[in-house]
Amino acid sequence: MVQVKPEETKQVKGMTLRRDPLREECFQVVHSDAEMHEWPGMTPTSMRERLHRHMNNETGAIEIAAQCLVDFPDAPWELRMHLARQCWDESRHVAALYRRLREIGGRKGEFPISNFEWSITCMLDSLAARLALQNRTFEAGELDLLGQLPAKWREVGDERTPEVLESILSDEITHVRFANQWVKRMVQEDRRLLLKIAMAVRFLSAVTAAVAPKEGELSPVGVVFTAPKDRVPQVNIEDRRHAEFSDDEIEQFLRQSGYQSIMTAGSEG
Amino acid sequence: MGLSVQVRAENVGTFRFIHVFLMETLARWVPNTREMEVKVLFGRHVWDLAQQADALGKRTYELRAPLQFSLRPIERYAKFLEEFAITAPTPQKIAGFYDVVLPGLAARYQRYLASTDRLLDEPTVRVMERILDEFTRMQSDCRALRDELPQLRLNDREWTARLAELEAADSDIVAHRATAAVA
Repeated sequence: MVQVKPEETKQVKGMTLRRDPLREECFQVVHSDAEMHEWPGMTPTSMRERLHRHMNNETGAIEIAAQCLVDFPDAPWELRMHLARQCWDESRHVAALYRRLREIGGRKGEFPISNFEWSITCMLDSLAARLALQNRTFEAGELDLLGQLPAKWREVGDERTPEVLESILSDEITHVRFANQWVKRMVQEDRRLLLKIAMAVRFLSAVTAAVAPKEGELSPVGVVFTAPKDRVPQVNIEDRRHAEFSDDEIEQFLRQSGYQSIMTAGSEG
Repeated sequence: MGLSVQVRAENVGTFRFIHVFLMETLARWVPNTREMEVKVLFGRHVWDLAQQADALGKRTYELRAPLQFSLRPIERYAKFLEEFAITAPTPQKIAGFYDVVLPGLAARYQRYLASTDRLLDEPTVRVMERILDEFTRMQSDCRALRDELPQLRLNDREWTARLAELEAADSDIVAHRATAAVA
């Protein structure tokens, strides 16, 4: 079991989180999404910020998979191979997004970045819980996002970025799938892990609530934050199925998400 | 005369140990390195090292040792690896890994290939030849990055030479076992 030392942590709004991984001086690291500079629409600035944010999220994904290899040396070799493969995939994603960012005139450090996923996931002391949060929650959320984003880019006449995003999507399905397979297997072997996973989900909810902006508050770029109830994501059912979420799990997720705009098989992305 | 099956298994198991150790070293360095492009380089090579360890670990099973058998090398080499793994500055990490550790390991593979019976031990030979090709690609990836970002070059030749000396201190790093069983 991994014990995170106090010097490896940071305090954010009363929550103890894992200290940020190292970043170059050019980056301004913030501690919550509310501090990010998210412009609405698809203006040139907004497009660069989207790619910049995504690039840092993928960097975080390499770091989380890599840290799992370090923290859990006794995990089954087959699972470690999946994590090592994930390091490669996420590295290619960073390189592809950085290439595209430069093509549209962006640069590293142009916008603030946040290492939210790392700071939460790497506090967890079991591999099952980390896979449940990073791969089955955050990356599964990325499946939903990547299911709808290519269309947004095409609407503004960009064909190149959707190509990058669709390639990333297919890799992410693989990461969610192996986590689904292994979490189920690990829980079958040790039912106590269910408690660890439940505690991890509760921890995520607590941190999310602590750092969430208040309704009506303005973002750093002057946009009014919407209430969580109005932020219903599109759910990429087809790719969640590819990633081996069961129909029951998808149904449960849809119910939690508010059902509003369901992406049916074969629509966007 | 070639190498006995037991000696081959011990050698392959030792190489596997080193590949897993290096995979973990690069993995540890990913969050602890500032430069994004270097994180990408290490992240790519974590997978190469894992695949190489996997191929070696499958071969150990064919040599009457357990599947994915690893054998810790002799103490001095193991200590060398452990001390190298705590290297902090990025240019040293890169120079140490790509200019010293990989070439040192390649030389050890070449020595093994020169001493084994290439027909009787052909499956091991194939695995090692593939690894050597991949080392060349990994070093070429590193060269391309240092061409793009010259600040990652290490100008301290003494540091590299000292590390190379430590790496090469023992020509045989296999902790040979007395009994026939290598498990």
